[in-house]
Amino acid sequence: MTPQYDAIVIGGGHNGLVNAAYLARAGKKVLVLERRRQLGGAAVTEEVFPGFRFSVCSYVVSLLRPEIIRELDLPKHGLEILPLDGTFTPMHGNFLWRTNDHFQTRREIARHSRLDAEAYDEYAKAMVEMARFVKPILGMIPPDPMSLRPRELKGLLSIGRRFRALPLVDKYNQIQLMTMSAVDFLDQWFETDVLKATMAASGIIGTFLGVRSPGTAYVLLHHYMGEIDGAFRAWGLPRGGTGAISMAIAGAAREAGVELRTDASVATIRVDVGRATGVVLTNGEEITARLVSSGVDPRLTFLKMVGARHFPPDFIGDIQHYKFRGSSGKVNLALDTLPDFACLPGPGPHLRGAISISPGVEYMERAYDDAKYGRFSRRPYIDIVIPTLTDPSMAPPGTHVMSCFVQYAPYHLRDGTWDEQRDAFGDAVVDTLAEYAPNIKRIIRHRQVLTPLDLEREWGLSEGNIFQGELSLEQLFFMRPAPGWAQYRTPIQNLYLCGSATHPGGGIMGAPGRNAARAILGDWKRVMKSTTKTRT
Amino acid sequence: MSSDIVVVGAGHNGLVLAGYLARAGFRPLVLERRPTIGGVVVTEEFHPGFQCPTIVHTLPRPRPELVHYLDLPRHGLQIVEPDPVVFAPSDDGRALAIYRDAGQTAEALRAWSKADADAYPAFEQSLGRIGAVIEPLLWSTPPSIDEINPADLWQLLKTGRRFRGLGAPDSYRLLRYAPMAVADLVAEWFETDLLRATLAAEAIRDTASGPWSPGTGGLLLLRTALAGRPAAGHVAAMGGIGSYTRALGDSARKSGAEIRTGTDVTRILVEDGAVRGVALANGEEIAARVVISNVDPKQTLLRLVDPAALLPDFVFRVQNIQTRGTVAKINLALSGLPSCPAASRLAGGDGAASTLLRGRIHIGPDIDYLERAFDTSKYGQASARPYLDVAIPTLVDPALAPQGCHVMSIHAQFMPYHLRPDGWDGRHERLAQSVIETLSTYFPDLDNFVVHGEVFTPADLESLFGLSGGHLLQGEPALHQLFGLRPVLGWAQYRTPIEGLYLCGSGTHPGVAVCGASGANAAREVIKHLRKRRGSGVGGRGSV
Repeated sequence: MTPQYDAIVIGGGHNGLVNAAYLARAGKKVLVLERRRQLGGAAVTEEVFPGFRFSVCSYVVSLLRPEIIRELDLPKHGLEILPLDGTFTPMHGNFLWRTNDHFQTRREIARHSRLDAEAYDEYAKAMVEMARFVKPILGMIPPDPMSLRPRELKGLLSIGRRFRALPLVDKYNQIQLMTMSAVDFLDQWFETDVLKATMAASGIIGTFLGVRSPGTAYVLLHHYMGEIDGAFRAWGLPRGGTGAISMAIAGAAREAGVELRTDASVATIRVDVGRATGVVLTNGEEITARLVSSGVDPRLTFLKMVGARHFPPDFIGDIQHYKFRGSSGKVNLALDTLPDFACLPGPGPHLRGAISISPGVEYMERAYDDAKYGRFSRRPYIDIVIPTLTDPSMAPPGTHVMSCFVQYAPYHLRDGTWDEQRDAFGDAVVDTLAEYAPNIKRIIRHRQVLTPLDLEREWGLSEGNIFQGELSLEQLFFMRPAPGWAQYRTPIQNLYLCGSATHPGGGIMGAPGRNAARAILGDWKRVMKSTTKTRT
Repeated sequence: MSSDIVVVGAGHNGLVLAGYLARAGFRPLVLERRPTIGGVVVTEEFHPGFQCPTIVHTLPRPRPELVHYLDLPRHGLQIVEPDPVVFAPSDDGRALAIYRDAGQTAEALRAWSKADADAYPAFEQSLGRIGAVIEPLLWSTPPSIDEINPADLWQLLKTGRRFRGLGAPDSYRLLRYAPMAVADLVAEWFETDLLRATLAAEAIRDTASGPWSPGTGGLLLLRTALAGRPAAGHVAAMGGIGSYTRALGDSARKSGAEIRTGTDVTRILVEDGAVRGVALANGEEIAARVVISNVDPKQTLLRLVDPAALLPDFVFRVQNIQTRGTVAKINLALSGLPSCPAASRLAGGDGAASTLLRGRIHIGPDIDYLERAFDTSKYGQASARPYLDVAIPTLVDPALAPQGCHVMSIHAQFMPYHLRPDGWDGRHERLAQSVIETLSTYFPDLDNFVVHGEVFTPADLESLFGLSGGHLLQGEPALHQLFGLRPVLGWAQYRTPIEGLYLCGSGTHPGVAVCGASGANAAREVIKHLRKRRGSGVGGRGSV
């Protein structure tokens, strides 16, 4: 019997949709199954409170690959990315406000330190160079260092050759970026504490690490990766919220012939003699396909949907060791009016970008210390955007929505459960905000608090990790999600992974979905062969 | 006066280097500022009749080739391998011990956890196999990344083959463990908190990292590679650990090296980009064509050398070498052996308890304890409940103290070099008190036996031993300061931009523990260059 579909994609998150779109454009018959009522996974816009629409989880576009935007023609499908202009870091009695205008930022930094303002130029130049080196790696299918196949060796050698061709100073920076802590790296360039804290903050988002933990410097690059991507900005807000990205990708997928089903929850992946043959939904429905591509994280895919018994024990060990450890939560606020920051009162352009509660390195480090011992930060790092300032359609006229990404909120609490702690966590966030924007408590109309447990329950993100697994050094590149299995394939034939748990990882980037599609299409002959000579 | 080859500093690496140079037929002149040779590996009398390892009290098992080549046993080195190697009491009165024999350790662990007992031998074997792949790298010069020469390529190829020979599970472990936090690494193997902490401590000793710091997994691998065992690779010596450096010194002298103590080098003289000698504190100048500095890279290149002789970018890199010291040392003279109920309980009697205490005593009952000890240091505070590594050398060699008396050597972490608000002045007493208080949990009557104590803060380590930041390894062994990046990228071959000036201290590769590898590697490089230059007049007896 011929399978019903060429490919089933589990999960209608942005990577699953990208994966499906590319497969369909290559002429495959593709079905996407999404458990929730709405497509988009963690990139969704929902009307949480009447009239107030939120980018519920993921709230900014981070490095959505320009080639995906181009190839899937996303603007035609409604994607419009509005610039997120700068980062405003309130302090007690002062502030730091960096914008996309380099010279303005330079002047602002000079207000804190003239030396730092000078260093900022050199720093920006160095980082752009570094980003140029790293960028091609994002689109790579990671080579397997243990393989002897020439193709794999070529991949490694090409990275090596490009590295050797770098000038010494760039080699230096590159190695430091991969190994140092964000703060240690920045210490070499800058003296202003708040500048270092707020820049370093990007290095810890979604990880269970502090700004002084080695390996966090690498993410500093992400801010500069966008600059070399050309017209599209590194960080932006999609008109209509992050759900609009998913909708645009879904539109492209649909146009390419992908069948999209929501409210379709996969219970198991059917495996027949080491080969995936389809899925069974929770309602008992069976659907067959030549291959299954899972946008769901490896723990759910392998341990829950397939079952450990189908895998070699070593592999199961690796998957069990793969670290999730969600460390962040989200607080979405519906506001009567704008927050008023004591250090720079009144509405103004400083509210239009990101607002970062990261007033100092020690503040950030202490927030991390709390999490290490199993409690949420009493004074957390908060990354805030007010999307209604760029896209007023998100809330009724005059009112606003405010999205607060909060770290640290460890999935494993030492005392109590997240269901008991949810309100206390929300209070800690609001109390922290109130230290900088005293009017905040008066203007909150509604409050939604999402803990790591909520992210797990509602979005199927194991342990609430927003990146489907920590972005720590030992879980990157050819080790993501497991050493030897970083090429989107799995030990089960015709079963692939295409989510953030694969290289290059999380964020609304789309690269895993696209890379996985390339891997699948590269294997296509083998897939066909294995699925056409099946018994009757 | 003049000498062709001057070695600045008679620390263990300087002495290893001098020994190797002398054996190769050169006649190095070693200049040591302190009255004793050995740097931080010395045993000194700190109270009448009481001798104690001043700073370092145990060593990773010295490489047999080195011991043999320098003929150290004939020069008085008598290595002692206590068994158990590590004794770790917990604060609830129980304890565990790690023995030389993995099977015996496993048996002992059975009282804690059957799963851990079963896992332990496999853990030692796996890390041992990984260590064996790494070990030769530690005893060779890191390849230059700009111009890889055939010898480097050969070395790389050999490493690649050893790596491949590991097989998939261990080679993937190596890749995964290297950047990992050691707390994660040990948690993959064991469930007992005390065991996790005891093993993890091996990775954070002498560093400014806690067990949750990424990269400490790699340090555990490197130190396992040096010592051959994850936690059980440490040795002591008869006459105290200082007898190791005494033997190194005697061996070097015997082969033709000259060693002068009490000789303070204040400047390394440079002319036209080449070294020309050293200047002493007393105004004397010693001409030399080759100077090898055992002093840390920062002190050597920023203080002893006039930085004007170096390019600004290089100076910037050297300034940025991280040397945040975190270790304080407390030595106690004791009128008797304090009781240790946890040891008595484990040994089944007071008499047998002391055999458990002959190796290292690990104080740090769980990972959180170690991490909390580290946390306070991030904010410039001394740990109130520090992680301690303790030795009682008189249990190995009773001759170190009067009859019935003992010395206790305590390595206390984490004590930040920059103590807030005003530094370490006048804080010695308080530091000693908090350490004794911590120890009293495990040795309840310790206070009654203390007749004398001495305290070294990181600031003292800097001023007395010339260690920048008081860092015992002359630089943090962090991922960005290892292998080809130690001391700085492009200069990991023991050379410096100044012709004829070399480095040989722990601040160079491998620099992960007191092992003499830096000295041995530097010696090989220096000898290679000297032989190339032989025609130009530098050289020794010319027999090699």
